[in-house]
Amino acid sequence: MSFALSSFHKDVARWRQDWMATLIWVAIPLMLGSLITILMGSGVTPSGKLLLVDEDQTFFSELIVGAYSAGELGEFITVEKTTYEDGLARVNEGEASGLLVIPAGFAAAFIESEPVTLTLRTNPSQTILPGIIQNVTEILLDAGFYAQQLFSDEIETLTSLTDDPTDAQVAAIAVAIQNKIETVAPRLFPPVIDVVIVEPPEESPGPPIALLYMPGVILMAVVFAANGLAADFWKERELGTLRRLVFAPALPAEFLVGKALAAAVIIAIVAGLTLFLGFLYHGIGWAHFPVSLLWLVVSGVALFAWFSALQMLFSNQKTAGVVSTLVVFPLLMAGGSFFPLAVMPSWIASIGRASPNGFMADRLATEITSIGVGAIDLQSWLIVLAGLVSGLLFCAWRLRSGFARA
Amino acid sequence: MPQPDTVWFTTMLTVTELSKNYGDFVAVDRISFSAGEGGIYGLLGPNGAGKSTTINCIAGLLKPTSGHASVAGHDVVAEGKAARGKLGVVPQELALYEDLPAVENLRYWGKAYGLGGKALDDRVAEVLETIGLGDRAKDLPKTFSGGMKRRLNFGCGIVHKPPVILLDEPTVGVDPQSRARIFDLVEAERDAGACVLYTTHYMEEAERLCDSLAIIDHGKLIAQGTVAELRAKLGARDVLQLTGHFPLEPTKQAISALVERVNTDLEFLSQEEDSVTLSLSQASQHLPAIFEAVANTGGRVTETSLRSPNLETLFLLLTGKELRE
Repeated sequence: MSFALSSFHKDVARWRQDWMATLIWVAIPLMLGSLITILMGSGVTPSGKLLLVDEDQTFFSELIVGAYSAGELGEFITVEKTTYEDGLARVNEGEASGLLVIPAGFAAAFIESEPVTLTLRTNPSQTILPGIIQNVTEILLDAGFYAQQLFSDEIETLTSLTDDPTDAQVAAIAVAIQNKIETVAPRLFPPVIDVVIVEPPEESPGPPIALLYMPGVILMAVVFAANGLAADFWKERELGTLRRLVFAPALPAEFLVGKALAAAVIIAIVAGLTLFLGFLYHGIGWAHFPVSLLWLVVSGVALFAWFSALQMLFSNQKTAGVVSTLVVFPLLMAGGSFFPLAVMPSWIASIGRASPNGFMADRLATEITSIGVGAIDLQSWLIVLAGLVSGLLFCAWRLRSGFARA
Repeated sequence: MPQPDTVWFTTMLTVTELSKNYGDFVAVDRISFSAGEGGIYGLLGPNGAGKSTTINCIAGLLKPTSGHASVAGHDVVAEGKAARGKLGVVPQELALYEDLPAVENLRYWGKAYGLGGKALDDRVAEVLETIGLGDRAKDLPKTFSGGMKRRLNFGCGIVHKPPVILLDEPTVGVDPQSRARIFDLVEAERDAGACVLYTTHYMEEAERLCDSLAIIDHGKLIAQGTVAELRAKLGARDVLQLTGHFPLEPTKQAISALVERVNTDLEFLSQEEDSVTLSLSQASQHLPAIFEAVANTGGRVTETSLRSPNLETLFLLLTGKELRE
């Protein structure tokens, strides 16, 4: 066991000379995590701009303009009046979501129930906001049509009046409109058809999307570290120190144990740093920190053992490097480092959870989102430990069966 | 193959009928020798002769196809761990952690051989002084010169004070100053009682260092003995190498006729169309007659090389080719 400690000290001392690698393992996932947090966690509401050309300049055209700015619609649609030429140019340049042209004679046509065409040009580079504007415009026109049908007599009387109607004339029209509203009101308020809205049971609010990313991002750092540390077997072989080890009476198993202990320390630093920042940002209870870190260290050493075994399967360093890179990125993709398992389609998520790092990220998510500490079940711990031991045994076999002798 | 006449006080390394095959290729072919404490035994041969394979079989890196080797009485296969514990190996290629201070390299390899505590500290300090790196102990080997790395490589092989040391061409690519330093280190280990097996393809190294040696070629041991014994095999004969154009059969007949006429001990070592190598006593006296004989056959001499007897000419005599070929 004494040589295992010596092997451990040796690797830690060597990695202190190469601290930049450790920094990169932490920096890349942190950078990605920060970007994701900024994109997903800022709470910014999308908004669009509707350019409006009012060539009619009447009371009815003003009603349409006002309708877009009213209520909740006004929170995400800003209406700006402009000229046709300016509006067309700005929509084409992508500066606005749409351009609505109300033609001259719109009010007259509306009153006379004559056909009239409103032109709506939408921004082809946007999808959602132009769609909303189009739907709102159609609803407004439908409402106008029914109002015109209902109050056609009153509108006709109104338009036939002189420029200065008397109070009695205005009052008569108002009474007539009021009577019609009272006649239809029992049918409209409440509607004859009663719609009972059954709301779904209130759910507890889901975790923010940035928190869902956190386990995958931390596992990304751990996977990078484990893969980088595993490449050291090839470095040792190139240095000739593995051959020299075969000359010595020390057991390869002791050498491996030392290497795994050193890997545990380095992974603890990488995982600890990323985990600390994640806990700090999301305000996760610090009681979960030790268990989460221990889980990541054991998981990381298991990954290190199997990445090492993979490296030692190949006959040259270049092939080993290419293959391990080819393995790492699909693993990160499947294991939720780029897209959280929680937002993946269920069948893809189930595949992701079966990947080693997906399994580890899933259990880490369980721990940090649970109320009690120690939410990772015993079976999961045993699976990871079994992976660690079997990976190291495979490495020991490869060292004895020729990798160190070449 | 007769055993050398060197009398070892205690035999520390024994190799008996050792063979190593790779499929049909025989890398080492039933070689036998022994070496004792306080002596340097050389394995001399060209590149690819089988020297490193022999060392690797003794060191436990390769399993012999047949035969045996034992170190301090321990069979290298049956009692591998015990045998390896008595061995110090200085490999041909550097085997150092370039990113670990020199002192830590020595400590690490000392631990690998079971040293620890004060004994390790004392021995590491002693080795650092011996290899002349006491003042650079905490520096990284990647900042060292090639010679300094070689010395540290040597130090890592002897840090556990092994009774048997295997040195596989330790001076390849080393400058003359560092080479002389390594010779001193090897001799110091010998003087301290170690049994040293030293492989080289440099004749002058073997002549300077080795008490006894074996000449190996194509995996076979073709001669062994003390340096004096091997020189005696040559007698006082020089080696004459002629370069030019030599019609094969006429040249042979002319030289043979010359042998009868002047009654010399001339012997053909090799003959090609462009070179002839001969062994004979007092070659310089016979040069005019040899040139005349060659000229009479229509041949032409463009270059002449005359060498007095040494291990290199012995190798030429035994194999018909240069040691460095």
